[in-house]
Amino acid sequence: MKQLLVAAAAFTTLLGTAQSATYLVEPTHTSVGFEVSHFGTSTIRARFDKKEGTVEFDRAAKTGRVEINIDTTSINSGVAPFDGHLKSKDFFNVTEHPTAKFVGDRFAFNGDKVSEVSGTLTMAGKTQPVTLKAKNFNCYTNPIFKREVCGGDFETVIQRSQWGMLYGMPAIAPDDVRLVIQVEAVKQ
Amino acid sequence: MHRGRFAALLLACSVASPVAAQPATAATYVLDPEHSFVQFEVLHFGTSTSRGRFGPVAGSVVLDRAAGRGEASLRVATASVDTGLAIFNARLRQADLLASDEHPEAFFSARQFRFDGDRVAEVRGEFTLRGISQALSLRALRFRCRQQDGTEVCGGDFEGEFLRSDFGMTHSLPLVANRVRLLVQVEAFRR
Repeated sequence: MKQLLVAAAAFTTLLGTAQSATYLVEPTHTSVGFEVSHFGTSTIRARFDKKEGTVEFDRAAKTGRVEINIDTTSINSGVAPFDGHLKSKDFFNVTEHPTAKFVGDRFAFNGDKVSEVSGTLTMAGKTQPVTLKAKNFNCYTNPIFKREVCGGDFETVIQRSQWGMLYGMPAIAPDDVRLVIQVEAVKQ
Repeated sequence: MHRGRFAALLLACSVASPVAAQPATAATYVLDPEHSFVQFEVLHFGTSTSRGRFGPVAGSVVLDRAAGRGEASLRVATASVDTGLAIFNARLRQADLLASDEHPEAFFSARQFRFDGDRVAEVRGEFTLRGISQALSLRALRFRCRQQDGTEVCGGDFEGEFLRSDFGMTHSLPLVANRVRLLVQVEAFRR
């Protein structure tokens, strides 16, 4: 009996609770972008066009884990020479580091809505802690997929120097960079 | 010169060309195609914000900071819309949304400039999309002029919003929100 309980406990840990579910990131409503001030005048925006990821999410237990993989070669600012510079060793160094990754394993809730996701962000081969703050969060039944979709808007401000991206600091662009993330994920 | 004749001459000048003659303090700025873009934001299923970019924005702005006046004439190719996803871009260009074939450009034409000191604070004008023109206010989130390589560069971030139904874009209402937020980045070189 005791062995059975231990086995059951191990099984539960392995699978998560009954309410834990896997969600697959839906690329048409998932976007990872950033904003940085240009000479203190205007805001430059760029985003990564290719990304994929999964979310494990348990609303009842208020736990979750998210992993988003970003193809750094897909960076898109709308200005080709600037994209080329962003891909260079001055910034993302995409030849050596073609993937950036966010792993969030600590979910904070406000009621039954996710309010923060903390974890690590790996860019240009360096991993640093980050906390994404939810601006919006909601779950709904999508009429096309006929499945539950959960998602929201997340933001944070990071210091690019922590990932070794020092170019043009501080005259052209400051250390602070705002990450602006849209994510929706479909329950599997 | 006799004072009365001078005054008469000034009056004649101002009557003859009220728009074309810029006062000595006015300067024309031409938009920098590397730093002039429009991002739109619209809420999807009340859950997350879909974004896309138009640009570069082309055109010029006349600023008379001493007189507190300005004039903007801007345009952007509607087919330049870029959400990062080709299939989404193609859908947005169709006739029931941007109608890019029939209306290849959107326009913003403005003559009502509000200043806060010598900084542009708000620009009010007419926004034309899908051939439909509506009043639009763009509020400055920041504005600054600087010297760069011997040329004055002025620019900032502006935000505004409109209802897409006002421009006949009613597809997927209300699941995708009617309210569209615009975030405009603009920098321009003094000519």
